[in-house]
Amino acid sequence: MTARLEITMETREEELQRLASAVDRLAADDGWPESLAFKVNLILEELALNVIRYGHDEEGLHEVDIRIVSRADGLTIEMTDDGRPFDPLTDAAAPDLDASVEDRRIGGLGIHLTRSMTSEMRYRREDGKNCLTLTLARGE
Amino acid sequence: MECNATREGANLFIAVDGRVDGTNASEFQEALEGVIEESDRLVVLDLGALSYVSSAGLRVVLLVAKELQRQSAKLAVCSLSDTVKEVFTISGFDKIIPVHGTRQEALEAS
Repeated sequence: MTARLEITMETREEELQRLASAVDRLAADDGWPESLAFKVNLILEELALNVIRYGHDEEGLHEVDIRIVSRADGLTIEMTDDGRPFDPLTDAAAPDLDASVEDRRIGGLGIHLTRSMTSEMRYRREDGKNCLTLTLARGE
Repeated sequence: MECNATREGANLFIAVDGRVDGTNASEFQEALEGVIEESDRLVVLDLGALSYVSSAGLRVVLLVAKELQRQSAKLAVCSLSDTVKEVFTISGFDKIIPVHGTRQEALEAS
């Protein structure tokens, strides 16, 4: 059985709640374990918030397209935005996980969490858009 | 999200209930900073009822840990769900903030 969600959100933070509600509904309908819903919500929040906060130089709203396809063997998440080119695989500094409390830099964790929670992550720039494809195993 | 604080001498327990995400992390920060006093020596965040946390919430926990260290106090967390614990571990927070099973264990370890 395949379950799916397609949602287009505007680049403003209030949209994150609508996104989370839509994911929670899909998770309930499709019988995801609680940990999977948590991770999908976290991944989408981290990526969407990055686009909302840092994606565009100019004022004004843009759209982010999100598609989730859930199959028996796992989940695929596709996210497309027209923000500045950003490849989370190469353009994000890794946090220093061994630093002490004093030295530990604030921030930089969102992409690290996203990368750690996905089994595969692919990026391409196409038609002036960032296109990200993530794969998660169902048990993850 | 709701924070409920209980003070026993110089030990402060703060139970965090609900979601902490990018939309309410600043409220979370204000709630924690509003209740922590300079005389507190140990602050334990009881995360048993925390249903969701993203990097925006972790950022606040790290800020509080830094502030407490400046006042020579300790921060610990307890009662984490498996997924919250995983988020802590992936972030390396378990290496800088003691993680305990219960409030009592956090108290005994301090």
